[in-house]
Amino acid sequence: MGEKLIISIDGKACACEKGEYLLQVARRNGIFIPSLCNHEGLEGLGACRLCIVEVTRGGRTQTVVSCIYPVEAEIEVQTQTNSIVEQRSVIVALLARLAPQSQTIAQMAKFMGADLPRLAERPGGDKCILCGLCVVACEQVGTGAIAKVNRGVEKEIATPYHRPSAECIGCTACANVCPTGQIEYQQDEQGVTIWGRYFDYVACAACGKQFATAAAWEFSALSSASEAASVGVGADAGADAGAGAGAGAGAIGQGRTGVVADADALPAPPLCPECQRQQVAEWLASSSGRYGNVRVAMKELAGE
Amino acid sequence: MVDENSKATETGSVAEGIHRIILKYPGQRRYSLAILQDVQKEFKYIPEEAIPLIKRHVGVSEGQLYALATFYKALSLTPKGQHIIKLCDGTACHLRGTNNLLGELGRTLGIAADERTVDGKFSLELVNCVGSCALAPVMIVDDDYHGKVTMGQLPQVIEEYRDEQEGGSDE
Amino acid sequence: MSERTTVCGTPPTAFGAATAVTPRRCLLVCCGTGCRANNAMGLADALEAAARDAGLDVTVSSDAPQIKRTGCNGFCENGPIVKVHPDDISYYKVKPEDAEPIIASLGNEPVARLLYRGEMRQRLTRQIDNPFYAHQQKLALRNIGEIDPLVIADYVAAGGYQALKKALQMSSEQIVEEVIASGLRGRGGAGFPTGIKWQTAAGYPAKPKYVICNGDEGDPGAFMDRSILEGDPHSVIEGLTIAALAIQAEQGFLYIRDEYGLALSNIAAAIAVAEADGYLGDDICGSGRKLRLEIVRGGGAFVCGESTALMASIEGRVGEPRAKYVRSAEKGLWGQPTVLNNVETLANIPYIILNGGAEFAKIGTAGSTGTKVFSLVGKVNRTGLIEVPMGASLRHMIYDIGGGIKRDRPFKAVQTGGPSGGCIPEGQLDLAVDFDTLDAEGAMMGSGGMIVMDEHDCMVEVARYYVKLLAEESCGKCTPCREGLRQMLGILTDITEGRGQVGDIELLERICATMTAASLCALGKTAANPVLSTIRHFRDEYQAHIRDRSCPAGVCPALTVYVIDAEKCTSCGACSRACPVGIVSGEKKVPYSIQSEKCIACGSCRDACRFDAVIAMRKEEVA
Repeated sequence: MGEKLIISIDGKACACEKGEYLLQVARRNGIFIPSLCNHEGLEGLGACRLCIVEVTRGGRTQTVVSCIYPVEAEIEVQTQTNSIVEQRSVIVALLARLAPQSQTIAQMAKFMGADLPRLAERPGGDKCILCGLCVVACEQVGTGAIAKVNRGVEKEIATPYHRPSAECIGCTACANVCPTGQIEYQQDEQGVTIWGRYFDYVACAACGKQFATAAAWEFSALSSASEAASVGVGADAGADAGAGAGAGAGAIGQGRTGVVADADALPAPPLCPECQRQQVAEWLASSSGRYGNVRVAMKELAGE
Repeated sequence: MVDENSKATETGSVAEGIHRIILKYPGQRRYSLAILQDVQKEFKYIPEEAIPLIKRHVGVSEGQLYALATFYKALSLTPKGQHIIKLCDGTACHLRGTNNLLGELGRTLGIAADERTVDGKFSLELVNCVGSCALAPVMIVDDDYHGKVTMGQLPQVIEEYRDEQEGGSDE
Repeated sequence: MSERTTVCGTPPTAFGAATAVTPRRCLLVCCGTGCRANNAMGLADALEAAARDAGLDVTVSSDAPQIKRTGCNGFCENGPIVKVHPDDISYYKVKPEDAEPIIASLGNEPVARLLYRGEMRQRLTRQIDNPFYAHQQKLALRNIGEIDPLVIADYVAAGGYQALKKALQMSSEQIVEEVIASGLRGRGGAGFPTGIKWQTAAGYPAKPKYVICNGDEGDPGAFMDRSILEGDPHSVIEGLTIAALAIQAEQGFLYIRDEYGLALSNIAAAIAVAEADGYLGDDICGSGRKLRLEIVRGGGAFVCGESTALMASIEGRVGEPRAKYVRSAEKGLWGQPTVLNNVETLANIPYIILNGGAEFAKIGTAGSTGTKVFSLVGKVNRTGLIEVPMGASLRHMIYDIGGGIKRDRPFKAVQTGGPSGGCIPEGQLDLAVDFDTLDAEGAMMGSGGMIVMDEHDCMVEVARYYVKLLAEESCGKCTPCREGLRQMLGILTDITEGRGQVGDIELLERICATMTAASLCALGKTAANPVLSTIRHFRDEYQAHIRDRSCPAGVCPALTVYVIDAEKCTSCGACSRACPVGIVSGEKKVPYSIQSEKCIACGSCRDACRFDAVIAMRKEEVA
């Protein structure tokens, strides 16, 4: 990483670092490449295939998916060739039949003139384009409560047995990353309903602001506590070391879920992130820098 | 803890049976599929109670375990029959009449692919090529391969399995 | 330039592994899965019993004939097969009742009725006389049918593990050089140069590294990997171990289809014995090198034959492939340098190390060296597994080896490469088969499946069949593959059921183009091949379905009924006996007739008729 490169995108010279993903380089240089399954906070997925471009390297041209294509050499990129435009058009036309209720897709299709009326609508099709961004978010931010179920043309996103999941913590990360707004949730003053379950909010003990569901707070507090308490408990130092690659090293992948050291040892009353930062800063200042490690400091705060 | 030597485990609860399987493997994500396959073999499907038990051992969320159980066709969420009939739908068999056999089994047993007879004796699946193409069309019942099966033979073959398990039931 | 062997008929190099194993008389009984379906194990038991009854007890006399249960001889429709060694007599379609006569015949005249009949109806004793075997050159299949796969001493006596011992004396670079010099290309489908793959992985310093054997053979019609794993598991272990030495891996996996029960148990047994004898484990042959092998059962997913999906499966995830912008040789299993090879590829390695890459490169064509195992199935007279040098023509395989089309019907097409491959029509029968010629035809070698079709096979139905398979097997991650297959299945089903629309062919072509360019993995990228190749060579058949609602091959039930041609009917009654729904009737000297309105168009009557008297007609015409 770090080696500076100049690549050409649609004739424009663009500076980048070796290893950067092509989509990011293009966007930074004001070149628009459409995408659906791409979210800033998450690794590139390469599922919707809308961000395809043509890359020429060493005399060879191939079609690549720019959100997951790392720039390794000084390549020439074309984002609007006739082939690419046609292929994107077919992809959007296919998505329009998969997700007939999605306004996002309908608008895209209209803009691109992508319409293949001969194609059949998926029975029961809604807004979901089956990109799986929600699942990635759930693995990274949440608990892995939702997953991509079945395979092939039967694929869908669901909780186990299509029932409200005991693992869901109501964090709504899934709904926030969804490109078409398929995942809905209803909020009121006390809590939120999502994936068929109601979650109470918890209020900050310091400022009184409702900042998360109680379930989400417990989950993240427990995770930090057990992580601080023991490195590698339940995690697989050996074989799963590399499991972090790919779809994110979520709490689940490293076995934290199953190894709550002591369910009663919850930290002190809930604090919203701002108040938490404030408290830690004050405490660190008062301890004259005795502890260099914030996590160890958190343990102390929790009274362990 | 389950006493593995105890006779009770033979008629023990589902949970005990699952524990026995789980304990054969280290608690690592990569054994999730192997554990599920062993559970499938023992119980003929993945019982719901298996999911949280496996989760506790390998540290994989229930959502992800459910994804595994529905992705891999070796695993099923609903029980299969006492006798599992697999019709090979590989190309050679397909060209030699798998569809006809499917239709005939439908008439004989009253079930379609991925269904189980009401009495639980037979379930039917279409499977990918089993690698016995020279004997097309191939039907596998439990572990028995039947090659060059004709529609006419089916009712009798089915009856043999029906009689077989009735005959051996006094133990 | 070294001489290239492109024409079959050169003496096979490796028949007679049994000779190397032992000079004494053996009865080699084929006990591969196919023959077991025909009671081969019962037959082997019967031979043992008959030998005991005749006083030829192996425990009593060291001269008594051994009865060995071997792997698959490849000529599956004619099994169970029994070979008498060293007399070189081959018996076919042997039943347990034949055990006594066979034992009695040892040292005397062979049992004539069990011998293979040649083209001139003469009885043939030697395997090499049988036209099915005469043109083969067995390399990957060298030991199968000749040794007992569960007896490591057989494998060693046939030259096994000599290559491993030699490799232990070679450096990593030297091993890689030999494999590169051999020109060996992956036998699983992609045809990537094996030596380059090993060289790339060897060049990355990250540890640990892994080797993987891909035994997830999923192409319908292909069963060569099953055969090798069942019949010669040590050849795979030896090849995999040499790969591990080349790239410096100390852990390996064999990922094998769960459905392959016998292959799984035989390879597991072979690994255990190899470890016990020091060919695996912590101190291979006293060299200090290490390798541990683990078996992973496939979960029933065709896509797991794709290398990155396979690795995901080993990691305990769903079998979703990943983009290959970073190669597995650099970052594969758990992000580590990994070499993944197909079963057949690995089975070739011992020969290459022992005889040198240049020897291997003398066989086959310049771009595709060595031999290839094909599974010749479908409408040919002699079906089974055949191994020939690359460059053999389709005509040679189908007619010389396969004995031509059943019932002498005209050849229509041969489908190669499974769901990733395409159909090759009559005009291309002289195509010299290798990776590049098939690619150029839009067909693809794939794992070597060759499914022969005649005029009673509907090419539109063939395309629909493959698309349906892929629609269910696709992992479902990327839009072009999942949605493209969903829609193509809908369109092709419409076409075969009489609801095709003008413009459907062009729409299929458009979807295919997008799938090929934009799909994530090889499954999606090659899914277009069966559709495009059948459109290319059989467009008129598609048009008949769409415009005329007619199936020229007489296959699609929604478009077809059968009627009996009164002039050709001889009143033999075969059709009536074959009909599963009892709608064919007639009597002596009166032409039979079919109640067309109840006909389900299963084709049984047409298959049963020896006089071409059953005709498929357009349903709408016979209202």
